[in-house]
Amino acid sequence: MLLVWLAEAVVFALIVAGILAERPLALAAAGVAIVVAGALLRFVAPLRSALVCAFALHPTAALLGGAALALVLPLALRSSPYWTFVATLALLYVTIGQGLNLQIGTAGVINLAGAAFAGLGGYSVGLLTVGAGWPSWLAVAAAPWVAVAVGALLFVPILKTRGHYLALVTIAFVFIFNILMNNLEFTGGPQGIKNIPTLRLGGYAFTARPTLGVVELPAHANFYYAALATAFLATGILRRLHDSWLGLALNTLRDDEIAARCCGVSIAREKLIAFSIGNFFIGLGGALYAVMVGFVSPPDFDFGYSLIMLSVIIIGGVDSIGGVVLGACLLVPLPERFRFLHEYRLLLYGLVIVVMLLFRPRGLWPAGIRRYR
Amino acid sequence: MSLLEVKGLTVRFGGLVALDGVDVALGEGETLGVIGPNGSGKTTLFNTLTGLYAAAAGEVLFLGQRLSGLETHAIARRGIARTFQSSRLCLELSVFDNILIGMHAHRRTGLLDSLLRRDRLRSEMSQAIERAAHLLSLFNPALPRRGLERVGQLPQIDRRRVEICRALASQPRLVLLDEPSAGMSPEETAQLMKDLQIVREEMPGLSVMVIEHDMFVIEGVSQRVVALSYGRKIAEGSFAAVSARDEVREAYLGGEAARA
Amino acid sequence: MPPLELLLQQTLNGVMLGVMYALIAVGFTLFFGVLDVIHFSHGDIFMLGAFVGLSTLLGLAVVGLRTPLLALPPAFAVAVLVTGLVGVGAERVCVKPLARSSPLMTLLATLSLGLVLRESVLIFYPRGADPKPFPQLLPAGGFEVGGVAVRYENLTILAIGFAAMIGVDLVIRRTRMGAAIRAVAQDPEAAQMMGVNLDRTVDATFFLGSGLAAVAGMLSGFYYGEIHFIMGITGGVIGFSAAAIGGLGNVYGAIVGGLLFGVLQTTAAALIPRGSEFRDVVAFAVVMLFLIFKPSGILGEKSVERV
Ligand SMILES: Nc1ncnc2c1ncn2[C@@H]1O[C@H](COP(=O)(O)OP(=O)(O)O)[C@@H](O)[C@H]1O
Ligand SMILES: [Mg+2]
Repeated sequence: MLLVWLAEAVVFALIVAGILAERPLALAAAGVAIVVAGALLRFVAPLRSALVCAFALHPTAALLGGAALALVLPLALRSSPYWTFVATLALLYVTIGQGLNLQIGTAGVINLAGAAFAGLGGYSVGLLTVGAGWPSWLAVAAAPWVAVAVGALLFVPILKTRGHYLALVTIAFVFIFNILMNNLEFTGGPQGIKNIPTLRLGGYAFTARPTLGVVELPAHANFYYAALATAFLATGILRRLHDSWLGLALNTLRDDEIAARCCGVSIAREKLIAFSIGNFFIGLGGALYAVMVGFVSPPDFDFGYSLIMLSVIIIGGVDSIGGVVLGACLLVPLPERFRFLHEYRLLLYGLVIVVMLLFRPRGLWPAGIRRYR
Repeated sequence: MSLLEVKGLTVRFGGLVALDGVDVALGEGETLGVIGPNGSGKTTLFNTLTGLYAAAAGEVLFLGQRLSGLETHAIARRGIARTFQSSRLCLELSVFDNILIGMHAHRRTGLLDSLLRRDRLRSEMSQAIERAAHLLSLFNPALPRRGLERVGQLPQIDRRRVEICRALASQPRLVLLDEPSAGMSPEETAQLMKDLQIVREEMPGLSVMVIEHDMFVIEGVSQRVVALSYGRKIAEGSFAAVSARDEVREAYLGGEAARA
Repeated sequence: MPPLELLLQQTLNGVMLGVMYALIAVGFTLFFGVLDVIHFSHGDIFMLGAFVGLSTLLGLAVVGLRTPLLALPPAFAVAVLVTGLVGVGAERVCVKPLARSSPLMTLLATLSLGLVLRESVLIFYPRGADPKPFPQLLPAGGFEVGGVAVRYENLTILAIGFAAMIGVDLVIRRTRMGAAIRAVAQDPEAAQMMGVNLDRTVDATFFLGSGLAAVAGMLSGFYYGEIHFIMGITGGVIGFSAAAIGGLGNVYGAIVGGLLFGVLQTTAAALIPRGSEFRDVVAFAVVMLFLIFKPSGILGEKSVERV
């Protein structure tokens, strides 16, 4: 158990060092340390098997340790509100990725309209707060349901089309969504919706800088914790659904619809449930994004973002709950760390995905065997 | 009363008549062999019974109720399970998962239970896995131990067994087996015949329809045989009687000659 | 303008656009025919074709070849050749190796490859983020029949587009390679047993399809007067839509689908309020309806999935 916590602490220290190192020397040191740690893990077999064993034996301890470290991350990133923001973004992508993974990875319902459903969440928050004057928390609670409801427009195509055709339908949906947002008046056209009021709970505004005794946390820390709680919840819910009759039925119909039907599985029912649950979490991610940054506009939710959401799943591992977390936590912060690569960010995304698909199609954290725990 | 009654079943694909007014009846606990040359409509018969293909005419009564118009999954829930001519397992999923899906229709825990009352799901699943292991052990005592491996790692004959277990897992009244020995060596086929006899003994009330090209298997397991040719039923009766009929021999020879 | 003339005018404009879409769609449909995959980076191949064509034209202008008759043939030739080769490269790297896995895999790989192509042009082409003006080499001027304005430039685009289509049709129907492509599309295994070289045929198909996309890219440059690195996204989606409307795998279907999509866009633009903004909403909605209710396409036949 100690080994588990030790390993987690080391990873945490390396990540924080990697993020915060500013001067070239410190950055180089952090980089070397990460490479050395990776190499140790890769090439020293006893160490690796000991770690794997320890994590397998103490899943609860591992989870608690991980949770504790996630809780103190803003403390460690105290000096950098920017990185707290990036960490929050990564957590939102965890929530979105879990929703999308249920659709694409578990059920094989290829949804390339992830950006549109996140946008539905985000725009709903904007319209409900700025337009209708709702309090932000209520708007955030309602927005995912809008994504679910509008998703019902795609119910018929989802049941009637498969594979490439479904991909095309969802792409068309993203395009339509974007054109509408760009040109409708009530969505603010190309400018989008500005001045979305921030989250407030009992008079406490989320933009305030929280203090813990004497320590002051960075500006985005409140959102960080909200996003952390959401990501945690989403991951827990999706893990439980994955390891249940629903996950089993979805995996089966993903691999062979005819076999699933002959086993008594109603394809329509299971697919629509998966699609709707997925849209809920995607919409929730978009809604939180809207209250965090305070505005929404069409380019925040265009087709390119669908692809980024997708790459989270591919990099992590299709149908792998842990993989989504890993994928989001790698894919969102890494390009920010390498600012000088920023221009090449999408190019690198594309290359990485192609290489992954060719050489490691199951992702970095492949889906395991279902054990119904 | 017969469990299954098929009356005047006709299926067309464009101009092709794949089944032409076929009548079949099957009693409880009975095993019926279906024979006929390639392309004679045997698989089409199974596909129509399970609702995958729509019939142009005729009707199917199962337990006295009409099946026409029902969706495949609804038919499966009424108690018709099947295997396929070429395996339709999910190779990426575990052996247990492939069998558990057969029990999906009988599940007792819903979405909310899986989220909030996890212990219920767990206990249901461990019972289900126990049953799956029991089914597997009927055929091969070594198989349950491989239950958490991916099906793709099993040899061909064990995959067939898993597929049969999946069909049995749903506690069906009627099982349709489509060429279970397809692609097997003679030894494996002999093994498989033993397996089918085990099923017969373990589940005496279960009715079975089996399509086979291997006449030894047909002779060994079925009490009655129907022969199809060009979508028509050309003979019915005991194996000895049917295989002695001229039409049947001709259909087979003609079929072979046409293919050669 | 009276409505009938307006409709005629919009139909003519739609056919113009449709010719370009059709050229892209034929590629989608050919690739699907031989490998059963959708090559999503095809839209960006189309964009690349336009950029190669532009670069060649600029290069030719530097050496003094500015007259259309001297500059156009080599520009088209270079664009078709280079783009065709890039298409073959894309197929070798990322389509063929994944063709046997699930559609999700090829979809993602080719989408990502498209991203790579797009970003490469953005980053490595000089000032790649800006729209690039395209040299106007086609004849200017025009005439009017019955209230419909016809421009020579448009006629030239139509002529080149149809010539390219007829060329492809001849290649597919009259040459040995075309016969091989048709055989592989019918049944790859049987084709191989008949002595068709599968790899070569697939390569040839991708060369042909990508070359056509290059022609479409250049025509689009002449039509709009400028090209932009993101033009491949919509180009690809529309091309795929057109191929799907026509029935994937069917070359004539793709052509009909392309023309239909173009006419749909332009008439929608004319008929609905604020049409120019919402025309694509209408067009894509129609595509969705098509995929739902006639998934085998206009020219496809309904079939029952075999079990
Ligand atoms: N989905 C389908 N579409 C068109 N024709 C089919 C389909 N399924 C079967 N057929 C045709 O129906 C006839 C009977 O086929 P089948 O039932 O598979 O024969 P078998 O007796 O060998 O199992 C064959 O001629 C076959 O080509
Ligand atoms: Mg058959």
